[in-house]
This record gives sequence, C-alpha cells and structure tokens, in this order.
Amino acid sequence: MAQTNPYKTFAAEIYEIIDESPTIRTIRVKPEKPIPFRTGQFIELTIPNIGEGPFTPSSSHHISDKMDVTIMKAGFVTEYVHKAKVGDRIGIRGPYGTCYPIDEWKGKDVLIMGGGVGMAPTRSLFLSLLQDIDNYNSITFLVGARTPNDMIYKQHIQGWRDIDKVNILRSVDRVPEGEEWNEEVCLITKLLSKINIKPEGNPVVVCGPPIMMKFGTMDLLKYGYADKDIYLSMEKKMYCGIGHCRHCVIGQYYACKDGPVFTYDKVKNEENIWE
Amino acid sequence: MIVKAQDFLSFLIKCQKESLGGFRQVIVPRKSRNPEDNQQLFEEINDSTEPVLESYRTIDPLRALFYFSRETLLPADKGKKRLIVGAKGCDMAAFQILDKALINEDFVDPVYQAWREQTTIISTDCAEICDSCHCTLVGGKPYTDQNYDLNLSGVGQHYLITIGSQKGEELLKIMKEVVDLSLPQGDEIDKIKKNRDAVVVKLNEQNSRFSRSEDYSALRKSDIEGWIDDSKSCIGCGGCTNICPTCYCIIINDDSTGEEFIKVRSADSCQLHGYARVAGGDTPRPKMYQRFRNRYLCKFDYMKSNFDMIGCTGCGRCIDVCAGEIEFREVVQKNMQLPKVQE
Repeated sequence: MAQTNPYKTFAAEIYEIIDESPTIRTIRVKPEKPIPFRTGQFIELTIPNIGEGPFTPSSSHHISDKMDVTIMKAGFVTEYVHKAKVGDRIGIRGPYGTCYPIDEWKGKDVLIMGGGVGMAPTRSLFLSLLQDIDNYNSITFLVGARTPNDMIYKQHIQGWRDIDKVNILRSVDRVPEGEEWNEEVCLITKLLSKINIKPEGNPVVVCGPPIMMKFGTMDLLKYGYADKDIYLSMEKKMYCGIGHCRHCVIGQYYACKDGPVFTYDKVKNEENIWE
Repeated sequence: MIVKAQDFLSFLIKCQKESLGGFRQVIVPRKSRNPEDNQQLFEEINDSTEPVLESYRTIDPLRALFYFSRETLLPADKGKKRLIVGAKGCDMAAFQILDKALINEDFVDPVYQAWREQTTIISTDCAEICDSCHCTLVGGKPYTDQNYDLNLSGVGQHYLITIGSQKGEELLKIMKEVVDLSLPQGDEIDKIKKNRDAVVVKLNEQNSRFSRSEDYSALRKSDIEGWIDDSKSCIGCGGCTNICPTCYCIIINDDSTGEEFIKVRSADSCQLHGYARVAGGDTPRPKMYQRFRNRYLCKFDYMKSNFDMIGCTGCGRCIDVCAGEIEFREVVQKNMQLPKVQE
C-alpha cells in the first residue's frame, strides 16, 4: 500500500476575491504547498463540511504557489463559494485529467473560444501561452457572454490587447437597457467571420456552455478546422476525479481521466457528447 | 486435500471464536429466515448459523462486502482480517472488473484495496441453480477458476480443497492443525467434474430460450422504441444496480470537521434521476428509458471497452430484485434482435 491516497486534500487560504459578474467570482488562493498543474487539468475544490466540486484553475500553469479559480453560482457548493470571505480556508485535491498539449503548438496560430464562465479555463490557457508568446505565431481569443454585465475579466482586457501577436474579439448576445457595450453584438460563433486564420494544421480550443460547444464545433468544421485540431473541454459531473465513480462517463471514456480536454475526433462517435 | 463437511464447519467457528489465523471475522452464506424467500445471504458466523455453502449464489453480491454502501476514504478506513466462505463463480468473475476499476496504475481506492488484501476467500462450486441464474449465457461457469484462495467442491459429505494462492496455502496449514484432512481417493476429481457438468447442463437448458449472439455492439444500435417499451414498468429505484456484482458507481461527500479533511463515498445508481446532473440542473439522461438503456450499454458496451470484459456475470440478481418484474435476459435478447437503425 505504498501508493498515496488519491483523495489527499491540501488546505488553501483565500487571499483575494474578485466579483467578476453578478453570478461569477474569482477566488485567489494560497495552498499550503505548491500545486503544480498543466493548463486544462482540473482540481476538486472543497468547502469544508459543505462539499466539493471539480473546477479548472483560471491562472497560468507557470504559477503553482498560488491559484485563481473562477466559479459561477450554479448549485449547492458554488453558493458557498459565493458566500466565502478573504481568509477562509478551503481544500484542494488534484490536479486531475488531461491538459492542452501546448508544447506541440510552437509556431502555430492558436485560436481560443471561451463562452460565459467557459472563459475561466481558457484564461488559464491564454495566460500560460502568454508566458512563452515567442513560441507561437499568434494568439486569437474569442470571448462571448450573454450581456455586458456577464462579461468576466473586464479589467484585464486592455492590457492583453496591448500585447503584440494577441488579438481579442468579444461579443455579447444582447445589450439590456442601461448597460454599455461598444464591441460586437452577436453569438460568439459569428466572430469566426471576423478573423483571418488559416485553419489547416492550427489548433483551436472551445470551452463554454454545451450549446456553444456544439455549434462552435460545427462552425469550426465549416471554417476548415480538422477534427483532430479542435480541442474541447468536456466538463461533466466529475465526482471523484480519478475514474472511479463513473458519473462522467462518455461512452468508453471518462471525462476526468481521458479528458476533460478531448480532441473532437476522439469523442465525435460517442452518444450525447453535448448534453 | 479432502475435508469432512462437519469438520470444516467446526473449523470456521473456531476461526471466528478464537481468531484462529488472525481472522477477526468469518462470513458465510445462510438461508433467509423468511420461509417463502428462497434466498441465501451473507452473515458473520456464530454457533447457530447453518451455512449453505454449495447451493447457488447469495442474494447480496460479494462486492458489497468489499465496497460497502458508505465508507470513509480520507482518512481511509483500514478494514480487518477476515475469511469469506461460499463465494460463487459469478461473484468471483466480478473481481476482474472491480480490481481493474479500483486498483489500477493510475489511482487506487484505498479502502477497497484494504478489504481485498485483508480478506481470504474460500469459493465453493454451485450444486444447484435458481431461476434467474445465467452465468453460462455470458461465458461464465457455476464454479470459479480464478481469484480464489481456496476452492471447495462438494463430494458427498466431504469437500475437495483446491489451493488457488499463497494465502490459501497458509490457511490450509492452519486448518491441518485443527481438523483431519485426507488425501483424495482417486475418483473425486471425476465426481466433481460430473457435478459441475450437470449444473452447466441445467443452466444451459434453463437459458436456451434467451440465447443471443456475443456481439453486443448491436445493443447500441437498436431502435429507441424498444427501450421505451421495455422500461415502461421500471420505477427507477436503482435496486438492480445496488445488487449487481459489477456496479461500483459512487458519490463523494465532504464531511470535513475542524482542521481535518474527511472524504466519504456512498453508493449511487445511474438509474436515479439526479445521477449525472451537473450544476445548473442539466442532465444528459432526463428520461427513465435513457437511464434504463444506459445500464445495458454500460454493462455490455462501455465496460467491455474499459475492462475487456462485459459487466454482466450472469448472477441474475437484478431479475430477482426488480419491482417491475423486468426480465433482464429478455431485454438483452430482444434489443439485440431489433431491426437496426441507420447510423
């Protein structure tokens, strides 16, 4: 029994909270020991005596002594995340699952599509790529949200846009009265008509609500991307994170172990992948 | 070696009472106390226990003694040294899936592993079958040739003992000190083969009307209307999965107190509505027939991909337990014969 307990959980302290939108907040935590991960992997985050859930860090994988996790209020555990205060103690176990193979993307034009809170994992990817931006030909980040108020990471956008080789396009589905917006108003998938990337041999990453993943993938195929170059972050109910609980099974695959990062060619023949 | 049935029983009671061999618990199958209920179940042995060692499988799966409905994973429950007697072929076959699923090169379930390591298993050949038994229909046998420490085959009032592992060999040494063991006379092997063959014949006769191809990929392609029809009497109670020897779905809960992180796992069932529901309320299988179908695909398709073995060992417990009286064998057969839909 030399193997370590895969459920071993480490304490972490919340040192800053950023409310990104009415339903989404980023908690910034300092774990008791560094938690190295590769971008795309996820962790199980514990609110002690309440519960735990799978979340993908939204910070760069080049930083392991601190971690940002961006969380939408959507259920029991996340309610408590939204009640948390600076100084609160949480738990982290992991990381688990597959990552984006960014070492294979050297010299390429990388396209990232993040919709809603799906921008959180893709921000981790974006920041990890920025660290070695010289390695890539360009980074295009397409961001979508329902309304301007739902748009997250607002305070960072201008700084990112100022970086050479980075192109960021943002869209909202609609602009309610009283909210201001001077960028695109359309579905995120429509932003594809406003970019100019050669799809052959270049990677594209999609993360967002199931409906956006589905139609985003269909549009990317039409645009000319190959099945094997479309990276999907397939978030399911990953209770254990280690392939034991079977809740995240997608046909023959476990989202937690074989994913959550899948290429479309791997999962396209499985049932209900978008649900 | 040969042991008298009566001597073997007194050995078991001695193990339990005097912690012989360091065993802190001896578990055996016994008859249900309800006379109308023709079932056996596992129980810790005591003076008044009448073990039913040959017969057919218990109604509770052996899996439930290695993977309890609720256990603490962090800090991990340690288990205790124990002896389980009367394990059947269908339950033993399930270890091929459970061991791969829960003790693999990536991650180990520490509690399941502790129970596996601390348990010595004495399997026994089936001497009878019940109406739902169908191991031979899925390529199994009413006896085991794997995973056991010792195996007992009944010959009259005696058992022939076969050693299956180091653990079994050690147990036999302890047994030798307490009871008389004799060498086989020569014709026992033949008798046992005859007994085994006779049970196989019974199983084949009983299940011939459910015969089907072994290419279960047909299930995935079968018409959805068939599943809707078959699931009409399913009430979604999850009894079939809870009693299945290869089902191991769980949920993880956090019971942390103070400074210590505590993680607990509890049994779950893919037949329940909330099973795969994610935050926000979406679930991939909102309809009963979808969850019903999922169980069949998981057993015959997904587990085959995951473990190179289908997830049904033919114990038939899901048939016995079903409140909707759904005949599992019939559903499989029927859905494999339905006209294929266009892919």
